[in-house]
Amino acid sequence: MDFDFSDDQEQLRDAVRKYVDKGYSFERRRAAEKAGGFDRAAYNELAELGLTGLYVPEDDGGMGMGPVEGMVVMEELGRGIVLEPLAQALIAGAVIAGYGDAATKAAWLPGIASGEKLVVLAYQERAARYKLDVCEAKATQAPGGYVINATKNVVPVGDQADAFIVPAKVNSQLALFIVERNSAGVTTSGYGTQEGGRAADVVLKNAPATLLTMDGQTALEHAVDIGIAATCAEAVGVMDKTLAITAEYLNTRKQFGVVISSFQALRHRAADMKMQLELARSMSYYASLKLNAPAAERRAALARAKYQLGNSMRFIGQQAVQLHGGIGVTDEYIVSHYFKKLTQMEMTFGDTLHHLGEVSARMQDTAGVFA
Amino acid sequence: MDLAFTPEEQKFREDIRAWVQANLPADISHKVHNALHLTREDMQNWAKILGKKGWLGHAWPKEFGGPGWNSVQKHLFEEECALAGAPRVVPFGPVMVAPVIMAFGNAEQQKRFLPGIADGSVWWSQGYSEPGSGSDLASVKTRAERQGNKYIVNGQKTWTTLGQYGEWIFCLVRTSTEGKPQTGISFLLIDMKSPGVTVRPIIMLDGGHEVNEVFFDNVEVPVDNLIGEENKGWNYAKHLLAHERTNIADVNRTKRELERLKRIAKTEGVYDDVRFRDEIAKLEVDVVALEMLVLRVLAAEKSGKNPLDIAGLLKIRGSEIQQRYAELMMLAAGPYAVPLIREAMEAGWQGNFPGGAVGNAPLASTYFNLRKTTIYGGSNEVQRNIVSQVVLG
Repeated sequence: MDFDFSDDQEQLRDAVRKYVDKGYSFERRRAAEKAGGFDRAAYNELAELGLTGLYVPEDDGGMGMGPVEGMVVMEELGRGIVLEPLAQALIAGAVIAGYGDAATKAAWLPGIASGEKLVVLAYQERAARYKLDVCEAKATQAPGGYVINATKNVVPVGDQADAFIVPAKVNSQLALFIVERNSAGVTTSGYGTQEGGRAADVVLKNAPATLLTMDGQTALEHAVDIGIAATCAEAVGVMDKTLAITAEYLNTRKQFGVVISSFQALRHRAADMKMQLELARSMSYYASLKLNAPAAERRAALARAKYQLGNSMRFIGQQAVQLHGGIGVTDEYIVSHYFKKLTQMEMTFGDTLHHLGEVSARMQDTAGVFA
Repeated sequence: MDLAFTPEEQKFREDIRAWVQANLPADISHKVHNALHLTREDMQNWAKILGKKGWLGHAWPKEFGGPGWNSVQKHLFEEECALAGAPRVVPFGPVMVAPVIMAFGNAEQQKRFLPGIADGSVWWSQGYSEPGSGSDLASVKTRAERQGNKYIVNGQKTWTTLGQYGEWIFCLVRTSTEGKPQTGISFLLIDMKSPGVTVRPIIMLDGGHEVNEVFFDNVEVPVDNLIGEENKGWNYAKHLLAHERTNIADVNRTKRELERLKRIAKTEGVYDDVRFRDEIAKLEVDVVALEMLVLRVLAAEKSGKNPLDIAGLLKIRGSEIQQRYAELMMLAAGPYAVPLIREAMEAGWQGNFPGGAVGNAPLASTYFNLRKTTIYGGSNEVQRNIVSQVVLG
């Protein structure tokens, strides 16, 4: 048992932190939000650091790294509330590498690693909410492959991504496909999101699709679990910074002639925030360290993690705003942006109640980390 | 980073498990697994079995006869004992006073006191709290006045856990009123058979006799029983607190009790009730998160690279979770937690418990009893003060 990061992992962390501190200011983020919520130039900078290819094998042009490296990177991006959807690159890299055939890998992986190809998971459907086994999208065989008819909602940067990984049913079998955005039959309508990023609804009408895997249920669950681990890690970074911002404010703001950090009611709230942060960090470690476990064990672990992280995110976000007082509910001050980021992440890849249901359904007679 | 224990650690765990299985008396583990009343003999019996093996002081270094285990090995040992249903080791001797004697006692004191702690033959008690000194421990008033080669001790200690069995007691006593309150405190070992020592029971809300008041009326204590220097006792007490760290979270026992909660919920027919089951599921995650927090602290201690100073968090969370499982057990039994039949909490009772499930008998008592956990060992509010210093300075 060991929870230390290796020297290489620490170097990776330093590199990402340096980029975020110097290259991704709050002003730049604001500009990206105003411009629609996605900054391809910033995404390409992440690619230049090698991050979009983090889970792409080295033979395919990536870094061939694992969940702990993914966690380190996402934590640092979270600290700077970076808008660009790196979690999607992690999902696409790992899923195509893990489930695609040689031709599919050759067609997509080098581009994902270089940043030239932004591939996102388009799985959300109106009737499914967070369920992964409910899918109305239909794929049918056509000359040269398949065509898909589907409506997918709230697809990250859906109107600017180069391609989508799309779950759709072939008869009653869930399969995953790759659909290029500029194909015939693809319509997207984009919009901003609460955190300041971008998403789109994607409508596919007989859109041509390449089969990624017929074992779609397994692959989709894996994809979402990679997303959960990435979101947990990102959230730890966001919360760590949120608490630091709040602590600094409490130590600066004066009322009744003293700094407000001298008031015990506020001090105890800060202690409760620290509690939630450390529980969340512990469960983010747990999520990443279980990401390569056998599917049943992995699913159970990731549900536990996202449940904890959801609770922690909501508590820390809400309390950060409360402890700031009036300035906390303004747009001009940074803490509200951290709060909104946390709020949106709770509803990404399954919210807290959903994952409580998952934990409850999977409960065994035993208890603890190793059960 | 690696969540798994090493093959050597796994082997260590298996060896411990086999030994505990072979040596823990079945009647004792039966009582522990069912929260039945443990007698002094039960506790001492297990202490002596451990003592004979050299494991009562399982955290002791080799030079004092301990096994010299690292933090992970200690954790594995504690976990195997807890999961097997071993009674909690009464900590006052082997866990609390022994490390202070090792660190600050002289060679004579070490020779005199440590063997009786190591083999479980001498029962130690803790004399810290006083009626006027709870969270504000540095305000202790029990006086020790030096007269020649002895101290004359006058005053009162309270909340002395299992003090009715105590043979020796380590006390924080005031030897000076000069300067800050912390600077006039000394660490004194007192023979409880000394004339002038009186122990009075305090009956708790669950009806149990677990704690006591201890009165000192002109008790003569040889100066040889002073640990370290006069007026430096506060530093030694702080050293003792530093030895509590992870076991204060009590996560191993909590895992065992969560499994018991699930069994009770099944027996009572609420395990498949969605509203009740979700409450267990929440606790399930709480326990995993707490265990991860503990494992992070242990791993950091083992590697020595990034020490984590989050003992306050462990105390707060561990105690809240203990209270929660006890609460859910009681609520699972519902109306059958209501009957107060004390004999039904004794092993071997053959009477008819209302509803037929005698396992429900101690649930409310345990719930009431565990309200102490967020109060003792530095109340959770004091712990939040400590944690807030880490966050805010």
